[in-house]
Amino acid sequence: MDPVPGIPATTDPMIEPAMRGVGLVKTFGSVRAVDDVTFELAPGRIYGLLGPNGSGKTTLIRLLTGMTVASAGRAEVLGVTMPSRANLARIGYMTQSDGVYPALTVAENARFFAAAYGVDGERAVEAVLEVVDLADRQRTIVANLSGGQRRRLSLACALIHEPPVLFLDEPTVGIDPLLRVQFWTHFRALAGAGTTIVVSSHVMDEADRCDELLFIRSGRIIARGSGREVRDQAGTDDLETAFLRLGGDAEVTR
Amino acid sequence: MSRRRVVALFRRVVEEIRRDRPSIALLFVAPILLTGLVAFIVREGSTPQVNAVIVTPAGPAGAVVGATLASSLVASGATVTEAADEAAAQAAVEDGTASIGIILPADIGTGDAPTITVITNGLDPAGDAAQLAEVQRAMLSAASAIAGTPLPTIEHETIYGTPSDDPITTYAPAIIGFFAYFFVYILTGVSFLRERTGGTLERLMATPVTRGEIVVGYTLGFGLFATIQVVVLMIWTLGTVDVPAIGPLPAFSIGLGVPMAGSPFLAFLVVLLVAIGAVSLGIFLSTFARTELQIIQFIPLVISPQFLLSGVLFPVSSLPPVIQPLAAIMPLTYAVDGLRQVFIRGADLAVPELRVDIAVLAGFAVFFGVIAAVTIRRDVV
Repeated sequence: MDPVPGIPATTDPMIEPAMRGVGLVKTFGSVRAVDDVTFELAPGRIYGLLGPNGSGKTTLIRLLTGMTVASAGRAEVLGVTMPSRANLARIGYMTQSDGVYPALTVAENARFFAAAYGVDGERAVEAVLEVVDLADRQRTIVANLSGGQRRRLSLACALIHEPPVLFLDEPTVGIDPLLRVQFWTHFRALAGAGTTIVVSSHVMDEADRCDELLFIRSGRIIARGSGREVRDQAGTDDLETAFLRLGGDAEVTR
Repeated sequence: MSRRRVVALFRRVVEEIRRDRPSIALLFVAPILLTGLVAFIVREGSTPQVNAVIVTPAGPAGAVVGATLASSLVASGATVTEAADEAAAQAAVEDGTASIGIILPADIGTGDAPTITVITNGLDPAGDAAQLAEVQRAMLSAASAIAGTPLPTIEHETIYGTPSDDPITTYAPAIIGFFAYFFVYILTGVSFLRERTGGTLERLMATPVTRGEIVVGYTLGFGLFATIQVVVLMIWTLGTVDVPAIGPLPAFSIGLGVPMAGSPFLAFLVVLLVAIGAVSLGIFLSTFARTELQIIQFIPLVISPQFLLSGVLFPVSSLPPVIQPLAAIMPLTYAVDGLRQVFIRGADLAVPELRVDIAVLAGFAVFFGVIAAVTIRRDVV
C-alpha cells in the first residue's frame, strides 16, 4: 500500500505521536491480558493489531479508549492520559459487537450517537450514512437490517464526530468480501485525511492493507513493522507463517 | 415422538439450569424466604397497642359499665383515658393521643341492647380492625362480668374516610403505588441489562456521556411512561363511567369509583417519586444480572418482601417488632402511607405525615440515583 502523499510512511521523531503506551499492564486476577507494553503510533497511519483470539487486542484497545483502567503504566491518546472523558470526543470506537440499538431506525441510532458526541445532528447524520452507503435505509429499523448493514451502521456511529483517532475492533468480522473492500477503501481515505486508525484483526489477509503491523501474543507486542519487514524478519513470504514463527510456534507450521 | 430426542432435550434443560447457579439458589431460597416471612408476620405479628379513650354517660349504670370495660381493657394491656364527650374523644383520636374512642350511650345498662359507637382514625383500616377486635374482646368479658347485660351493637365511625364498607378504598392507593414501583423496576432493569449485554453501554461509555447523564436520561424516559401509567391507573381507580345498556348487553360502569379525599396531583407526585427511585434501582440491580431471567429472579428477593412489609397487605404497626425497622427502610412503605394520606385523609402539603413521606421518597430517589450512577462502572460491562 503506497503511503498517502504528505503523510510520512515511517514514524518521524519530529511528529508528536497520535498515541502512546508506556509500560502498560492490565491484569485480570492472575491473567496478564496486557503485559508491559510500550509503543508510539504516528498520526495519519493505519496500524494493524494482529493476534489470535484472547491475545489482548481488545484489552489494549479498551486501555487506549479509557474503557478500562491500566493496572500499571500509562495510555495516552493525542497527548492526553486515558481515561479522559473530554478526550473521548476526539476518539471513535467501533466495538466488536455492533453496539447499536435494534429497536431504533438507522437514522435514530446515528442521531443518538451524534448527540452523545455533541455534534450537530442532521448534517453529520446525512453525511456519515452516505459514507457507509446506508443513506437509503435511514428509516429502516435496525433489527431488520442484514448483518453487514448493521456493521456499517456501527462504523457510521464511530465516525459521526469525525474523530482524529479511530479504533476498530475486528471491524470486518462476519462481512462479505465486497463490503470488506469498501471498508478498507474508506479507512484508507480517512487515513489520507489525517485520521490515525488502529484496526484489530485475526485475519491475516487484511494485514497487508495496514501501514504497520503490531503482532500481539499473550499480551505482548512480539513484532512490529510493515508487512514486508515482518516477513523478512521471519524469513517467509507468508504472513501467517511469519506470525507463527515470531510467536515461537514455528514447529507447528507446515 | 423419538425417545432419544426427548431425552436429549430433557438433559439439555437440566444441564442448563444446573449451571445457572443463581436460578438453582432461587428455586429454594425464594419460596423458603417468602413463606418464612409470611409465617413470621402472621404468627408473630404484634397485637396493636390499644390506647382507648372512653366517654361514659352520667349515672350509676354508665359508671359501672364504663369501669368494668376500662378494667377489662387494662387487663389486656391497653391504656384507658376518660373524655368528657364525643367531641373530645374524636379530638384525641385525631391528634393520635388515643388509638380508639369508645362512646357508651346514655341508655347503657337499662336492659336494652345498647349501641356503642367506636371511633378510629380510618387511615389504616387493617390496623383499625385489629384495634376494634381488641375492644370487642374487652366488651365481651365486660358483658359477662355484669350479669344480664345484653351484647352491645357496635357502630364503627372513622375520622377519615368511611369505615371499611368498601375495602378497595384502602387497597387501591397502595396497589397504585406498588405497581408503579414494580413495573418501572422491571422495565428499567431489563432495558439497562440489554444496554449492557448488547454492547451499547460500552459504546455509550466511549462517548463523552457521563454516568450521571445516563441515570437522569433513563429517569426522564421511564418517568414519562410511569407518568402515563399512573394517569391511566388513577382514571381507572377514581372514575366511574356508566355505560348504558346496548341491545342485549346490560348497563354497566367502568372504573372502580374509589373516593379520593385529596388532590390527585399530590397522589401523582408521591407515585412519581417512588417510580423515579425504581428506575435507579433497576439500573443498580442490572449490575448483578447477566440475563433477563435474572432480573425476573430479583423479584421474589427484592420486590416481594417490600410488598409484604410496606403496609400494602399487613399494616406496618401489626408487623413483628423485629422486622418493623425493615419496613422503615423501604421506599414503598412511604409511598403506601403517602397515598393513603392523600386518598383517605385528603392530606395536603400542610400535613406533616405527608411531608415526611414525600421527603423520604425524594431522598430514596436521590440515594438510588447516586448508587446507580456509581455502579455503571466502566470496567463492568
